[in-house]
Amino acid sequence: MRIAVCIKRVPDMDVKFRIAGHAKGVDETGLKYDMADFDGYAVEAALQMMEKEGAGEVVVVSLGPDAVQETLRKALSMGATSAIQLKCDEVPFDGFAVASALASELGGATYDLIMFGRMSTDNANGVVGPMVAELLGLPVVTACSKLEIVAGRGTARRELEGGAEFVAFDLPAVVTIDEGIARPRYPSLKGIMAAKKKPLATKPANLPEPRLVIARMDLPPERKAGRIVGEGAAAVPELVRLLQQEAKVLA
Amino acid sequence: MASSNAVFLIILVLAAAVFSFSAQRLVRFLRLGQGTHRFDALPRRIVNLLTIGFGQTKILRDPVAGTLHALVFWGFVVLQLGAIEILVAGVVPAFSYADLLPVPVYRLFLLTQDVTSLAVLVAVSVLLYRRLVVKPRRLQGDQVHGGDAILILSLIAALMVTLLLTSGAERVTAARAPAIVQPFAAALAIVLSRMPDSLLSALHGVSWWSHALLILVFLNYLPYSKHLHVIVSLPNTFLSNTSGPGTIGTMKAMDLDAETEQFGASDVTHLSWKNLLDGYACTECGRCTAACPANMTGKPLSPRKIVINTRQRLSEVAPSLVGADDPMSALPMHTGPRDDTDSGARDRRLLDHYITEDELWACTSCRACVYECPVSIDQLEIINELRRNLVLTESRFPEEIQPAFESMERNGTPWAFPASDRAKWAEGLDIPTLAELLERNERADVLYWVGCMGSFDERAQKTTVAFARIMKHAGVRFAILGQEEACHGDPARRMGNEYLYQILAKQAIETLDRYRVTTIVTACPHCFHQIGNEFPQLGGHYEVIHHSTYIEQLLADGRIALADPVAQRLTVAYHDSCYLGRYNAIYDAPREVLRRSLPVVALVEPPRTRDRGLCCGAGGGRMFMEERIGERINVERKKELLATGADAIAVACPFCMTMLADAGKKLDSSVTVLDVAEVVAQHLAEGVTAVPRDVA
Repeated sequence: MRIAVCIKRVPDMDVKFRIAGHAKGVDETGLKYDMADFDGYAVEAALQMMEKEGAGEVVVVSLGPDAVQETLRKALSMGATSAIQLKCDEVPFDGFAVASALASELGGATYDLIMFGRMSTDNANGVVGPMVAELLGLPVVTACSKLEIVAGRGTARRELEGGAEFVAFDLPAVVTIDEGIARPRYPSLKGIMAAKKKPLATKPANLPEPRLVIARMDLPPERKAGRIVGEGAAAVPELVRLLQQEAKVLA
Repeated sequence: MASSNAVFLIILVLAAAVFSFSAQRLVRFLRLGQGTHRFDALPRRIVNLLTIGFGQTKILRDPVAGTLHALVFWGFVVLQLGAIEILVAGVVPAFSYADLLPVPVYRLFLLTQDVTSLAVLVAVSVLLYRRLVVKPRRLQGDQVHGGDAILILSLIAALMVTLLLTSGAERVTAARAPAIVQPFAAALAIVLSRMPDSLLSALHGVSWWSHALLILVFLNYLPYSKHLHVIVSLPNTFLSNTSGPGTIGTMKAMDLDAETEQFGASDVTHLSWKNLLDGYACTECGRCTAACPANMTGKPLSPRKIVINTRQRLSEVAPSLVGADDPMSALPMHTGPRDDTDSGARDRRLLDHYITEDELWACTSCRACVYECPVSIDQLEIINELRRNLVLTESRFPEEIQPAFESMERNGTPWAFPASDRAKWAEGLDIPTLAELLERNERADVLYWVGCMGSFDERAQKTTVAFARIMKHAGVRFAILGQEEACHGDPARRMGNEYLYQILAKQAIETLDRYRVTTIVTACPHCFHQIGNEFPQLGGHYEVIHHSTYIEQLLADGRIALADPVAQRLTVAYHDSCYLGRYNAIYDAPREVLRRSLPVVALVEPPRTRDRGLCCGAGGGRMFMEERIGERINVERKKELLATGADAIAVACPFCMTMLADAGKKLDSSVTVLDVAEVVAQHLAEGVTAVPRDVA
């Protein structure tokens, strides 16, 4: 089975973000980057399928400047077979532009399965996977928490509020992966060394003109500090009064 | 006599040949191990040999068994002289030192042999009694070869009895010296002299031959028994680095650029020949396991088992690796823990088939095992090499440490705190960073390396602030790195992730060198040990001072003015941090700080203290792992500390602080845990500038 996994390089979410001066993006100084969380699950799920089968290949694809090579190498060190960088100076915010570039690369090759994370952990649009499916005319299952492929047919589990649904589909197909499918492995040094020798192809990204741009970015308003009204039962009347008159959450 | 001399000569040559074969075989096995240089720093090695080896300093840490062992050992050394005389006399009729030595020297020789043989006989009898009747717990478990010990002790007893009988019988026929130099043989001679001559002569013959043959049997049995210890211990002590040469407690340097697919060890051939020699030297006394915090709280780890397993696995696989069928493969040293019906020796390995993951991850790297070993075995190095293999080669480790690895990579701290919050504790305290000083063209005398616990952990931040206040009070010109500080990677290294460690350590060295830092103070013993003792492996050389030592010096120099002590008598129990104590021999400085800062303090000690101190349970990366098996080490330690009746527990390590404070919650104890810096900071005479002693 040939599997392509599309991965995105995103800033580490544990930091406190600042808005850049032009107000159309975050200030990138001091940010650490890594593979998007859901993409990590997708890579792990793909590797486990390949290992289970004992054959096949996992090709990781990422669009962006040369910095994405680091993310691709990480996937290679986890065990992916080869990597493709679709080179461009900047990753467009428009998911359709990204999907077009990916589709023009992925459409030319014969993949049984094209995998994505459910959404990127930075922009969280969650559209690139389904758009690629549409552009290539393939079925798409989004947010899979379990995936099984048997003899050219796939079954995916999707979590619903209070339940789950099981979706059957034929390959080739596009799937986007939710968390919980498999914890991404930690690359061993042996894997890191091996990744240095694996093929990483760089091709120009075939990007159309973006139809969406970020107009402005805002931080959420600072939360005001709480106030301690008093202690015990004596404080209740004052608290109720404030909730009614000041906070206006009680009628 | 001539024919019996010839017979003995043949036996002697045969025995020597067999021994030489056995010894060469063992050396060939050792050569399967990786190289390590162990002939440097000869003066240090000779001192170790004389103190730990001949002086028996480590074994005497157990006063009862230690004294008995020392008696047998010293007796053994003394009796070697006699054994040579006996063996030569077997070939050269009537050979005696009497013909070579001046009379007084010869008489002294006789006296030593006589007294020593009885002393050894008594000691061996007590040791046999101990094994057969008392049965100490330390000598059980781990598939130890108990029968082997009984056999060897009996052999030694038989050697002593036959020696005494031979000397006694000789005295009846021809006393070579006055009775006073052979008191016990002389006493025996009085009894024996009542025998008819023929019987006496037969007894002499049987005793002599038994003794001489037993020596040869003993010699040839050793290579196939755990009592190879007798031959290997002294060389092992000489070749060991556990008490120096080199900096004590540093992990083995590792070249990650080497062309290899094997990182760390999964089998004996990946270990160094010295690790393998440790297996030969171990006689399974169990002092290591008895001191192991993991073992005493019910975890599967036993440092003794690690060493026994190393020997067993070597014996199992070595014959097939050195080539040619090994005629000795049926002999006792080959008894492995698994039956021989499963797959062949080549398909098994040390990891998994002998030593399990649970054992390896239970280690707190407290170094108690290494410290206790009477023959300087390095159990911890074997554990660390196996951990390195698990992480670097196989990516197998408890899942809860993956976030720690990833956080170290991304945030430069094992916890998921944003790196931008690192210097938050210092806000409003007017503490400059090195970058700020550089901008103002100023310099600091010392860099305060705060460490991740001190920077992010709420409780540890209090220690951080306390130490900063003390330095400010004493007028120390210090600075911090602020957001430029990041984890040096020690937790990664201890958990086997040498790759991540080297990335972080090299970054830290780059930062320190960029500011030309020479002197560093830190309140964390792990930072202290790592930066001071292990950074040199990567080219980082700094003078690193732990805050306990630094505060002690400030107090000694009169640079800290303390307020009049409140009239309150406080009993304090100090808990030793492993990385300060056993790793760096700092025991007195923190205690001295407590004594000086609290004139009314009463310092009490738990039974396990100083170099015997019990770990808090956080070392070796255990801080980041769940403690799923057995009792909790921190609770065990806290109980010991509470049993002293102290009003407060003092620590000098943020990890010990967390572990002992957490244990307090579980034990429902309200006894406070304080850092030594907090104790001093509480008593600072604010607004008073101390007059340094050298000025006053």
